[in-house]
Amino acid sequence: MDTPSIINAIHDSGLSEWLRSSLKAMPIIEAIHVMSAAVVFGTILIVDLRLLGWPNTQRAFSRFHHDLLRWTWLAFGVSVVTGVLLFFVNSVTYYHNTAFRLKMLALILAGVNMWIFENGAARKALQWDQGPTPSAARLAGALSLTIWISVLFIARWIGFTKGYDFSIPQDVDLNLNFGQ
Amino acid sequence: MFLDFARALGDSSLSIWIQSHLWLTPLLQSIHIVMIGVVFTAILMISLRVLGQVNTDETFATVWARFSPWLWGGVVVMAMTGIILSIGEPVREASSTSFWLKMGLIVIGLISAKTFASTLRPFAYVGAAPFSGGAKAVALGTIALWLFIIFLGRAIAYDVEVWGHLHLG
Repeated sequence: MDTPSIINAIHDSGLSEWLRSSLKAMPIIEAIHVMSAAVVFGTILIVDLRLLGWPNTQRAFSRFHHDLLRWTWLAFGVSVVTGVLLFFVNSVTYYHNTAFRLKMLALILAGVNMWIFENGAARKALQWDQGPTPSAARLAGALSLTIWISVLFIARWIGFTKGYDFSIPQDVDLNLNFGQ
Repeated sequence: MFLDFARALGDSSLSIWIQSHLWLTPLLQSIHIVMIGVVFTAILMISLRVLGQVNTDETFATVWARFSPWLWGGVVVMAMTGIILSIGEPVREASSTSFWLKMGLIVIGLISAKTFASTLRPFAYVGAAPFSGGAKAVALGTIALWLFIIFLGRAIAYDVEVWGHLHLG
């Protein structure tokens, strides 16, 4: 089975059809995706800024790492689950959407950057826990910050490029008697 | 009344300028979303400190001093981007139940955060479990309140679906 067939099968699945037909599912799933993305980004931001020496390097890096990592992973797990559900709703459109592909690429880059940091500078963290941060760790922090801000920007762009018609009049007269 | 004002605002040259620059809305929404991360995480860290889950080696006052500038700074950026976005789509916002509920809850959330912090700052505890059950309940309530505010922000795009006949349009 090739990739387009899998994407089509996802699109035609019962779960996808249920999600598309449900009025309440989409706002709830999208909102939970935003909530979890906010926590992923915010907790990573705190760690990245600490790597860059902000606000200072007095509080041990290992404490930041210990306090925040579980919240980052918890929120990331929620993000993945809600993200997969959102993909199911419109899998064919997302698969062909450049912004969506760029977002996936950025997420992979974020993962590679984290893997290099965790297996490099972070392994020697006890040596610089409260002192000056080594340049490899600072670079990882700066890259992470840049990549995650990009992820949020690209993610928002998906909504404007997946078939949204910019020429729709702003004050179009909608039929608000929904379901009647 | 608000809808009449919103319609007039929507016809203003500023609103039309915002609508006609197609890159502006996604750009402002992206900045708004980055700030959701900043503001909500600041709220989360302050609340989790009360719950004894993070930064237990530091006092509440230290944690508040660390994160509150991010909270207020983020709120200012969100207000600015939010106001420009609303001027670009005034009728959509004014007719949205989620929008008005969100605005009301943000005011309540900010006043309660300030009051809560003023009450707890004098307690110079270090450690996991010094705060009362009441303080912890308020911390949990604060997290829930801001999660609901995020939900309402997203729900503006689905106002009819979420609120049905309570939609203000």
